[in-house]
Amino acid sequence: MRFNEKELVCLSRQPSEMAAELGMRGPKKGDVVKRRLVKLVVNFLFYFRTDEEEPVGALLLEQCRVEREDTQTFSIAFLDDAERKYLFECDSEEQCKEWIDSIIKASYEFMRRNLIFYRTEIHRLTGKDPLEQYGISDETRFQVNSGSQLMARDTSSL
Amino acid sequence: MKLHKKILTHFLSCTSPVDKEGYLYKKKERNATYYRRWFVLKANLLFYQERPADRHLLGVIVLEGCKVQMLESDGFFPFSLEFGPGLKTYRFAAGDAQTQGCWVKALFLASHCYLSCLLRDLERQYEGAKQQQGSSDSRSSIKSLNPPINSLLVPTLGPLAVVREGRSFSASAALPPHPLPTKVAAKKSPKKWQKRNAYVTPLNGPAPLYGEWPLVGSDPLVEFSKLHDYYGQEVQKAREAWLRSRRTEEDHSEKDLIDLG
Repeated sequence: MRFNEKELVCLSRQPSEMAAELGMRGPKKGDVVKRRLVKLVVNFLFYFRTDEEEPVGALLLEQCRVEREDTQTFSIAFLDDAERKYLFECDSEEQCKEWIDSIIKASYEFMRRNLIFYRTEIHRLTGKDPLEQYGISDETRFQVNSGSQLMARDTSSL
Repeated sequence: MKLHKKILTHFLSCTSPVDKEGYLYKKKERNATYYRRWFVLKANLLFYQERPADRHLLGVIVLEGCKVQMLESDGFFPFSLEFGPGLKTYRFAAGDAQTQGCWVKALFLASHCYLSCLLRDLERQYEGAKQQQGSSDSRSSIKSLNPPINSLLVPTLGPLAVVREGRSFSASAALPPHPLPTKVAAKKSPKKWQKRNAYVTPLNGPAPLYGEWPLVGSDPLVEFSKLHDYYGQEVQKAREAWLRSRRTEEDHSEKDLIDLG
């Protein structure tokens, strides 16, 4: 599967408030803790060898579970597999809490849910849909829906 | 760099909403030929494969730091995603102006950065609305908030209402009982919150290289309004093109290939 690697590497070099050297351990049996520069950019977690400019890897922070493992360690589990976790060792309890909080809030799906909440509440409080003024109230992306509706796929153009 | 692809394919196949899907032509850089591909847009990721039923994904494009560009051409409907100097430009074409316009708009709205700006704006409006409701002055409860900034308007494409694409988002498990971001935001200074999300695609050119991104201190709402302004014009052009082609179609009295009902 191809992906825009160069562009993603460029993204990884953008300024981020959540960037720190942490102890990182992979999910496989036998993986050991390695010092990595871990950096949160949009909904990706990049990790670098401490002296390198290009990240070793990128983890998409969607459909994942972030958990506190102990006072200074948190984990991220992907693929609905609670057993396969990435572990991150922080330098303090506060740092650990901040990372957990930031990772959860960076998820696109999390942000979308909040947007829908605000949209609904603003509409309730003011009688107005706040997305109307931006011409985006019909976008499926921002819909509040009680049930799922299957929309016709767009095959008309081709 | 290793992109953990299983995580992406898992995200694609899970129950979170698909924001848009459909056929488009994608230009292959090497031989300058357009190939028809099935595209699925989810969050800030654009996946593509040969056919909808295919299990094998051909690729994914992460939609951050790119400019969506409507392109002019007679008889076909191209658009592009530009990542900037030294970086890729993906080229696509739709079968008609309406599809072209729909995709351009959808891709423009897809980035994490866009959602972040919009969310911040809605947070502000929500706080304002709550304050006004809490006010003892009964008149103020119906009073309007800050009037919408005209430059934030995205012009609607007339025919959009006819063909709805993608699935609507089910919010059944979604509404948080409390406004979570505000509670935490109250503990942090606004500046700190902005820092974390200061990734705004600039408008006057393609996304700049590392080191040139707007840094701390830039007002995301100003960038946001400029973004809307700029792309609003693009969308307006698409609409005009669609209207022109519509008129031509009416003149020729051509039957639609597919009856949209």
